[in-house]
Amino acid sequence: MNISFLLFALLNPLFALLAAPLYMALIRKVKAYAQGRRGPKLFQVYYDLRKLMQKEAVYSPTSSWIMRFTPYLNLSTLLVCSLFVPLVFVPEPAGGLGNIIVFLYLLALERFFTALGGLDAGSAFGGMGSSRSMSLAAVIEPTMVISFAALAFVLKSLNLHQMFALTAGTVLPISPTLVLVSISLFIILIVETGRLPVDNPATHLELTMINEAMILEQTGKNLALLELAHALKQFLLMGILINTILPVGLSTEIDAGKIAVSALLFLLKAGLLAIIIGLFESALAKMRLFRLPAFYVMAFFFSALTILIEVFA
Amino acid sequence: MLEVLMYGAIAALISGTVLPLLYRSKNTRKASFGLSLISSVLLLGFAGAILYTGKEPVFPAIRYLPGLDFTLAADRLAAGFILLIAAVVPGVSIYSIEYVEHAKSEARKNLQAALTNLFILAMLMVVLAGNMVGFLIFWEIMSLSSLLLVLHDYSSEENKKAGFFYFVMTNISTAFLFLGFIILFRLTGSAEFGPLEYSASELALPFLFLFIGFGVKAGLVPFHKWLPYAHPAAPSSVSALMSGVMLKVAVYGFLRFLLSVSTPELWWGVLIITAGSLSALFGVIYALKENDIKRLLAYSSIENIGIIFTGIGLYVIFRVEGLESLALLSLAGSCFHAFNHALFKSLLFLCAGSIVHATGTRKIEAFGGLVKSMPATSALFMVGSVSIAALPPTNGFAGELLLYQAFFQSFAVTNPLLTVFLIIALSSFALTGALAAALFVKLFGITCLAMPRSEKSSLAKEVPKHMLIGPAIPAALCILGGLFSKQLLSLAGWEIEFPDLLLLGLLLGLIYAALFLIIRSKETSPARISETWGCGIPTLAPYMEYSSAGFSEPLVMIFKNIYRTKIVHRAEYFDRQESLFRNGNVEIRLLRFFEEYLYIPPARAIESFSKYVSKLQNGKLDSYVLYAFLAVIVLIIATGGFV
Repeated sequence: MNISFLLFALLNPLFALLAAPLYMALIRKVKAYAQGRRGPKLFQVYYDLRKLMQKEAVYSPTSSWIMRFTPYLNLSTLLVCSLFVPLVFVPEPAGGLGNIIVFLYLLALERFFTALGGLDAGSAFGGMGSSRSMSLAAVIEPTMVISFAALAFVLKSLNLHQMFALTAGTVLPISPTLVLVSISLFIILIVETGRLPVDNPATHLELTMINEAMILEQTGKNLALLELAHALKQFLLMGILINTILPVGLSTEIDAGKIAVSALLFLLKAGLLAIIIGLFESALAKMRLFRLPAFYVMAFFFSALTILIEVFA
Repeated sequence: MLEVLMYGAIAALISGTVLPLLYRSKNTRKASFGLSLISSVLLLGFAGAILYTGKEPVFPAIRYLPGLDFTLAADRLAAGFILLIAAVVPGVSIYSIEYVEHAKSEARKNLQAALTNLFILAMLMVVLAGNMVGFLIFWEIMSLSSLLLVLHDYSSEENKKAGFFYFVMTNISTAFLFLGFIILFRLTGSAEFGPLEYSASELALPFLFLFIGFGVKAGLVPFHKWLPYAHPAAPSSVSALMSGVMLKVAVYGFLRFLLSVSTPELWWGVLIITAGSLSALFGVIYALKENDIKRLLAYSSIENIGIIFTGIGLYVIFRVEGLESLALLSLAGSCFHAFNHALFKSLLFLCAGSIVHATGTRKIEAFGGLVKSMPATSALFMVGSVSIAALPPTNGFAGELLLYQAFFQSFAVTNPLLTVFLIIALSSFALTGALAAALFVKLFGITCLAMPRSEKSSLAKEVPKHMLIGPAIPAALCILGGLFSKQLLSLAGWEIEFPDLLLLGLLLGLIYAALFLIIRSKETSPARISETWGCGIPTLAPYMEYSSAGFSEPLVMIFKNIYRTKIVHRAEYFDRQESLFRNGNVEIRLLRFFEEYLYIPPARAIESFSKYVSKLQNGKLDSYVLYAFLAVIVLIIATGGFV
């Protein structure tokens, strides 16, 4: 452990935790504008979280410790994940934190327990959500792994910190193949955060919901923790995509001014990405569940292509 | 000094085998399992010392035939697998003390105790064997003792079939091993396991034979079908040993051969990875559809053996390509995964045994709600599920992480076709991992969570303490093995760049504790208990819950080309024109692809051939004398012509 990493370990999770809910609201706002509505306030998600935090939890008599354990575990997992993705500055790597495979499997840990939580209350909705979530996650997994392998191959490291230390300081992606990887990363972002055309985050209709169904029985504080974890996950995946395609301004030094610029620029870039996601969601209808593997194959193709180009070039 | 530990362990296992055969009482059974426990402690010291110091003990050779010695040897590879045996046996022994008492009669209880010890002894001796002859002798003892254990409950028709299936498959395995070893013997002129410095074309045939021989025993697709039959028939403690250790002994045998080859070829690696990936994928895909808890775990063993073989194949490819550090990484990943699978699979089989014992059924659809009625077993089952789903920071994750690291760096190979192959192998590896996670969400979720789905499940009670302490040992090792994976790897002498999972685990734990305390301290109103919302129905009933088949339905739809169904008609008619229907039946079932297209045709051919041969056996002495006479004539002509 070095000083640079300790400072990072304080700043980065705090920054992510504070900023993440904003982009949930921003995407909603963009979607609302696209539909000709005014939409909720930009800080609405923060108000919702505060409200939920003050409410008591309600448990089903059929539920067990899994349901009580999952929300805390999910948020702690995502907080550990936030040590893996440099947002404010790139520290010197320490203790293997930042390993891209560990990052992937921490997301899998979160998904595993969310799915168990969905089964715990004994409601058919929860079971349906868990079943669909695990099935779709299984089908997207090869794409995710190949995309991250392509990223690791192009940036010549398994550690996200080392990768982004390489891209930081440049304005545009350092290799044209990174544009291809970014397309895959964008699709992964859409899938992992349960957005259209995979899942509809705005719905409570049993035929379409996946993520919402799993957390349907969660209430009060527990729901707030899960929502926060979800927002964090989206923010971190956005972070990986942004650092890959538009690394401009990402600081590699510990300097108050540079870190502030880095954080501010990141907020702007994330805002831009959130607007793109919002427009993307507005332009698409939800796909049939069994059509989705074909959608994933597209992302798979771009990542595999990246590796092939890099090998042959 | 080290040798003494070894002899002590062997003596303990032999007396553990003999004792219950002499006296039929509960105490001898206890003593017998106590002896296997003692032997595993001795083995732990023995193997640990070899791995740590790197010094190999010397055993005297006993000559029993000219040119054939009986030797024991324990190098680092053997020590690794002895450590694996020593890690699995304690849990199984303690568990069995209580579990064996549920067998039907006193005789069977004692027999089970004796055979379990013999089985452990045989597996140990296979690993210790210094040459091919000893290896094959103990290999057969291992197969036969496990066969008797599978046939433990021999009165049921289903188990008889399972036993017979296992018997045939294990003999096919031995036959191929014999072929492979004989060719090696002719090549080298010695039965020792020495370095094989021959060209790859000379070694191609023994490689193929040994690959098939060990592949059958390890359960590689397409030779895997004995596993899902044998495991439901065997007692759960035996399943834990078979799946946890015996499959790994086959892996050991294969590695023993492969590591002694100085110049493997690329196609070996491609073949091994292909077989490994297919096993992993088919194993988990069939497991998803399975409704029998032990059969599901058997399929999951096939999956994990596939992962281990994928790692071995990567090792071969990297060695051929001259990437030594990556070769080491994949070999380490493969061995570590073998070790981890031994731990979590024995844990899961022991827990499955407890659950089957408590509910009286093996059907997953009949379980449910066990987290309330059997909290300790469920917690142990949870540890096993998290480990096998390869979630951080458990040991299952550590093993797969090594293989992932090897895969991610593998695109440094120069051969473009090989790159494409590795991309495919990596995606199939990733798919397997994610499907395994889905599988164990289903298994744990449907078995332990929500409401009991049947009366049997609602009456389940927690099992006695020995059946909890037993699985608790592998469970603890699963967690510790994950947290200290970096330290363990460097202790074993593998200096590999590897993330510190201890740090990760501590961070997770600390953040969890901090979150919990902060939120608890701010709590203003206590939690309420209220019914699950059932869309207006007053109370939810178990049949409204999501079922095991329902859970896997989306994946079954996605992989519907693999789960082909077959419609079988059978009709009898009164007349020859087939117009007056007498009776018949139609069944729609899953196509058993491997059995119907791969196993049955050769079996039919052998059957019809043996019918033909049996005509020669007419039971008359004079014709047998004629056969002997003809055979002598033929021999004289044949040898006379060649000499």
